[in-house]
Amino acid sequence: MDPDANDRTVIVPEETDLTTPYWDGARAHELRLQHCDACAHTWHPPLPRCAHCGADAISWRAAAGTGVVHSVTVTHQAAHPAFATRVPYAVVVVRLAEGPLVIGNVLGAEPSAVAVGQPVTVVFEEIADGVTLPQFALDG
Amino acid sequence: MDTERYPPATVAAVEAGNLRRAAAIVGIGTTGYTTNSGRSEWQMAIEAVSTAIADAGLSAGDVDGVIRYRADEVNEAMLAETLGFDLRYHSQVGFGGQSAAAVVGHAAAAIASGLASVVVCYRSLNGRSGTRYGRAERRIATGEGQQLVVAAGRMAPQGAFAGPYGLLAPGQVMALWAQRYAHEAGIGLDELCTALGTIAVTQRGYANHNPDAIMRDKPLDLDTYYRSRWISEPLRLYDFCLETDGAAAVVIAGPDVARRAPHRPAWILAAQQALREESMEVYTELGNGPDHRRRAAELFAAAGVQPGDLRVAALYDASTIMVLLSLEGYGFVAPGTAWRHLRDHGMGPDSPLAVNTAGGHLSEGYVHGFNHLLEAVRQIRGDSSSQVADADVVLMGAAGASGVLFGRG
Repeated sequence: MDPDANDRTVIVPEETDLTTPYWDGARAHELRLQHCDACAHTWHPPLPRCAHCGADAISWRAAAGTGVVHSVTVTHQAAHPAFATRVPYAVVVVRLAEGPLVIGNVLGAEPSAVAVGQPVTVVFEEIADGVTLPQFALDG
Repeated sequence: MDTERYPPATVAAVEAGNLRRAAAIVGIGTTGYTTNSGRSEWQMAIEAVSTAIADAGLSAGDVDGVIRYRADEVNEAMLAETLGFDLRYHSQVGFGGQSAAAVVGHAAAAIASGLASVVVCYRSLNGRSGTRYGRAERRIATGEGQQLVVAAGRMAPQGAFAGPYGLLAPGQVMALWAQRYAHEAGIGLDELCTALGTIAVTQRGYANHNPDAIMRDKPLDLDTYYRSRWISEPLRLYDFCLETDGAAAVVIAGPDVARRAPHRPAWILAAQQALREESMEVYTELGNGPDHRRRAAELFAAAGVQPGDLRVAALYDASTIMVLLSLEGYGFVAPGTAWRHLRDHGMGPDSPLAVNTAGGHLSEGYVHGFNHLLEAVRQIRGDSSSQVADADVVLMGAAGASGVLFGRG
């Protein structure tokens, strides 16, 4: 956790009927993705029906939690005061083993140590009471 | 098929499945570009539109159509009431600057189908003194002390799956594009940044010749580019567009009006519009991907020209990486090679393809694509401040989301 966390504004995700299962999963330390029961397609962010086959029968399944860094940027200029004390920080897009791309940060590593193609595993970060984000750590 | 009941279309452009010469930009206008206009967006829109109408040799009473960005704070009624338009057609196009060429296509379609005869399109914004598009506060509250603030919606940047991670500004997404581009092209950051720096420096050079450019009097060289601070790696300060107060407008009309226009018409050969993923393509392909290249190929085919026929293009540049991706996405060079093309040929006045000859969003001003439209028209007219020889066909391309090809006749 950020040592200044107690002093700063924290940006938390809105939860809706569509997305609460995702955040419930994070609270339970599972990265859950929508899965089409008809065609087995898996995607992120959440949709109200399968965009691949049109089926409404969707279930939430725990992902393996592994992936590779698809892209990364180390941000030096905060575009919102909540991140003013966090710069520089790395934002990654991770290609999960199941296929979808998700956005995250890499915890426990210098931002400059993160590179495209590195294998990562999901970890969970509680950023406020009852608010947990899926995050990533470098493997090895 | 019963040809009696379903006679062929009489408008040639519709028959051909494109907009070839159904309409042209006949007038352009701008307020000029500043960082603190001291005026309302409404006042600026009135000035830019009035200037464009006069440039076309028309009067407000001739205007019967308005098409604008949905995002513009100045709506059709505000403009019609203050300028005295008697409208029979008005419409809005979504997704902001991505639609810079789309508004032109919509106008040409309205004219080709007879819904309107003279259409005004405009963009007016106080992008520095008012709403700053590089900041997240317009979507996420600032908060005080330990307060929790909510990132809502599904979009990146700023939405629920992006904002909590500090992915807060479009420029960060573009930095993710740049990093991914380098990986896919198999190049190092040195090669990437040299290409991006070449774009920034070349556009600044054009701006130094453009009396209307905000950066007219501020030269930029590669050393200064490399020494500038990181915003979001691998993008530096000079990789990004300006924040600008200003308005720009175009007047579009059919052949009857265009043939009598005071200036050479910029004929609309073909126009294209796509609906990209809302999250700035974080979750899909880059702007040089197969879908982008297919749409671009359709655009060029509809106009009956090849990318290699062009000597000049106006490519939407919220950042330098958009230009790099667009060189590939619009088919000027093969995927993964634009960095090498820029290294070997550049994009200056004597290069095979001059790009953003007024300085673009990086160095002229950031009016969400409209200053690119105006420069494309100037190239067609032959009166750009960096005029390219043989500018018979000019592309204005908004990163694959919309594109228009203009021709001289």
